[in-house]
Amino acid sequence: MRDGNGLDPDVANNAEKEKESADLGTELAERARAGDTEAFGELIERHRCRAKGWAERMTGDPHLADDIVQDALIRAFMHIGSLQDANRFLPWLHRIVRNQANMRLRRGGPHRREKPFTSFEARERNGGSVDWDNLDSILDHLTRSAGKAAMKEDDPVEHLMRKEMYETIHAVLHCLTKKERAIFEAYFFKQLSPEEIAAMYGMTTGSIYTYIHRSRQKLRQEQIRVSLGLLPEKGGAILARHKMLELAEWPAHASLPTTMVDRLGHMLATMGDSRDIAELMGLSGFAFRMQISEKTTFADGIYMFDWRETLISFARDLGYEAALVCGQLSDFPVPLLGAVEKFPVVLPIEEAVLPFIRQTIDSGRPVLYFDTSATRPFIHEWSLICGYDDERRVVHLTDVMCPEGKTLSYEDVADNPIRFLAALTRQADRDRTASLPGTRDTRRRRLAEKTVRFAVSFAKNRWAYRPMTSYLSYVTGLAAYDTWIGHLRRGPGSPPNRYGMGHLAYVYSRTKSCAAAYLRTVPFEGEAMRFTLLASQAYEQAAEALRELEELAPFVKTAELMQADLCERCAGLLEQARTFEASAIGYLEKTIPYLEKGTSQ
Amino acid sequence: MSNVKSLKIMTEFQHLDNLMDAKASFEKAHPDVVITIEQAADHAESHRALQSDEAPDIVESGGWSIFNRKGLFVDLLPRVEEIPGLKDDLNPGVMRVAGKDGTLPGLPVDVALPLILYKRELFDNAGLPYPREGWTWEEMIETAKKLTLRNERGVATQFGLGFGVDVEEFEPFVMRNGGRYVSPDGTTARGYADQLPVIEAYRLLIDAYRVHRVIRRPGEPSEAGELHEGFALIFGFAWFAGAVVRYGLEDKYGVVGLPRMPGGENANMIYMGAAGISAKSPNRELAWAFLRHYALERPEAFRQANTLPITRSLAERSGYTVHPVWRRYIEELDFVQTSGFYLSEKWNSSRQLINEEIIRMINEGADVARTIRGWTRFA
Repeated sequence: MRDGNGLDPDVANNAEKEKESADLGTELAERARAGDTEAFGELIERHRCRAKGWAERMTGDPHLADDIVQDALIRAFMHIGSLQDANRFLPWLHRIVRNQANMRLRRGGPHRREKPFTSFEARERNGGSVDWDNLDSILDHLTRSAGKAAMKEDDPVEHLMRKEMYETIHAVLHCLTKKERAIFEAYFFKQLSPEEIAAMYGMTTGSIYTYIHRSRQKLRQEQIRVSLGLLPEKGGAILARHKMLELAEWPAHASLPTTMVDRLGHMLATMGDSRDIAELMGLSGFAFRMQISEKTTFADGIYMFDWRETLISFARDLGYEAALVCGQLSDFPVPLLGAVEKFPVVLPIEEAVLPFIRQTIDSGRPVLYFDTSATRPFIHEWSLICGYDDERRVVHLTDVMCPEGKTLSYEDVADNPIRFLAALTRQADRDRTASLPGTRDTRRRRLAEKTVRFAVSFAKNRWAYRPMTSYLSYVTGLAAYDTWIGHLRRGPGSPPNRYGMGHLAYVYSRTKSCAAAYLRTVPFEGEAMRFTLLASQAYEQAAEALRELEELAPFVKTAELMQADLCERCAGLLEQARTFEASAIGYLEKTIPYLEKGTSQ
Repeated sequence: MSNVKSLKIMTEFQHLDNLMDAKASFEKAHPDVVITIEQAADHAESHRALQSDEAPDIVESGGWSIFNRKGLFVDLLPRVEEIPGLKDDLNPGVMRVAGKDGTLPGLPVDVALPLILYKRELFDNAGLPYPREGWTWEEMIETAKKLTLRNERGVATQFGLGFGVDVEEFEPFVMRNGGRYVSPDGTTARGYADQLPVIEAYRLLIDAYRVHRVIRRPGEPSEAGELHEGFALIFGFAWFAGAVVRYGLEDKYGVVGLPRMPGGENANMIYMGAAGISAKSPNRELAWAFLRHYALERPEAFRQANTLPITRSLAERSGYTVHPVWRRYIEELDFVQTSGFYLSEKWNSSRQLINEEIIRMINEGADVARTIRGWTRFA
């Protein structure tokens, strides 16, 4: 049966669905290209079966096909930033799968894989062969004596492989600077010792090793790029550029201790959307959160929440979509394991993060970045990346202790053991809906109700956030006070951690103040508002007790041990704060029935 | 000019009793030495301190990850060899795992391994004989089935086996079935995690949750109470055994080795941290003297401990070799093997992603072989 346009409705529906699917695919590819790992995950789910089908057709081996698809997806993820046209994601992925399959087939099966450079040493010593697809193996081979290599010249297979190898290396050498290339060739091709090269260039042997190490890293990245069939670009990976955003004014007195929320506020202000910071703390729920490690008064509980889910949902509440890049490195000890334990393991390569940074900055938006090298007394905090410079190979970013900002090298950014970057994009229909009559007030009230409910449920939940890592646990809500007080009274054999103690007091005295300030502004009326204001006063009293605590244990980097009398005074103040906060929660609970009735009377 | 020598120790442990006791006794024996102790919240903080210009002389970590990094610590093996008899005294099983490329970056501390503790009372109530050494997986499951009790609503009031959900805790059963997660050099899981002995061990483990229902599934309602209450067999690390001893419950619990798996290998895992001397320390001799005192010379440290001594002489002097519970743990040290999480940092970092897949196998019935074959991506 056909409709009035002469089209079969089923065909029309299918065509419509296909178009929608294609549009969604393009949108996902666009977001993934901008570095959104969540979008990349969705893309993978959509195309994994198809990719496996390609690989299986080429290899005839379903298990090998799984491996190929896995490698292909890793490579696709690493290089999604180089995809020129989001509409061409599938052909691009197909090419990567094909290259990976060819590589595997050429290597001879699933049990040969890339290994780190060091692992080849023993094999070479034992007379093992060279993996000609692997740059590390090749470079290791080159460092062996030329005579030994020449002995194999009679072998036609070896000869061909060596020829291909030299072609491969020459194809990627362009990524090195002139000096790096000269030192690299002297070491690997001319077989000169680092001491000899140092003498040639009037440099130290140590700096020659540094050059060789850096060249090796750059070549490894370039080899991956070539294996993907991506065009080599002169002067390195991209045309050198730089851009610096001017961040909105953000005076120190306005900043918040919960740095994710503070940086988001700063980010929004820079994007022309200034928000009240107490409101941001309230709506995000951070004004009402408190988490204490069960180990001791370490401050890591401050950071224990689901970063991805929290950021995405909070951004949506504010009318934005968040694009994320996240992961953890396995080559470095990772801090805050309880928060990042389920981040995927990623490679320390610049190309996995810099396209995201460049693209976001180029569009006039700062990048939220988790900085694990924050200036003391902070240890790790969220910051805003506001600029990049390809020539100097640095990004510019904020740091609470450096009012003028600071820089981090591209290498530092890639080597950050926690990879967490985010950019916000305004929701498409936000402006339209926000302008509707009454919408803004209704929305504010709805969010305030949600916040009050969150505050009550969080306060009563001892285990609001439980990491899967079995030896890490954090107590939340009002029970967190008891845990904190317990740490202070455990006796001299298990003294509380003084450094973390200062950090906790610094953060939570301010968050309670934010709770008080936010509750004063909620758009409730009548009894609901009366109870909310009483809660606000109680929060202010809790904040005051915690401010006194902060005076006793200021936030400074210190290794000193807390004496028993100081512990007891601190415990007393925490008991006071707990009483006030319990009272605040009691008032908020009384607010809820009025909110549920939909009336404030 | 002052002749006082200072020694800076960074520790990741929160309970400092043992370290502070060692500090006190060492300072008493060396009046010219002042020891300061600083806590680190995690491996990252220890690592950062070791790389700084003010590196501590000694770092004590609850894990092994920073000790796997070249160049951070002094190799203690030459120092061990200098002391007559020490090398032979160190437990060979512990040293098999602690050695790294022919070096010893730290002295193991916080050493623990798992065995099966059984609650005699629950066996007596059911009229069942206690487990015996050499029992098989099948026998353990049959016993656990008889000891799992459910009420009319199907909710367990007692579980046959107390066991968690963690890729690391599954590993001893994998090892005992002849499998390994990763290659000995830690560079790959391909050819290891994806092989039949691993898959077979996992099938048996997953069946224990899904088919036999003798282990509490993730999220399953339970009225069995805490681990020391309604669980007949307990996969118990030295920490659990330590609590049994501390609370004087040795008469209530028996201890037996892990059951034999079809693969027939006698192997077990081991957890340990270490205390090592920073490569940047200007006080290496003094630091080594303290480490020996701290980790090797104080049987009193094991009076109320949750961990195992690392030398044979210390095991004897602390009474562990004749203790009804600890004796079996000391014996088991002969069979420990290096776990995947020590060998591969990538595998270690991926632990919770793997655990999520284990939960899917248990709760959703995800295909065991297919799921495990995909784990080659984690190393």
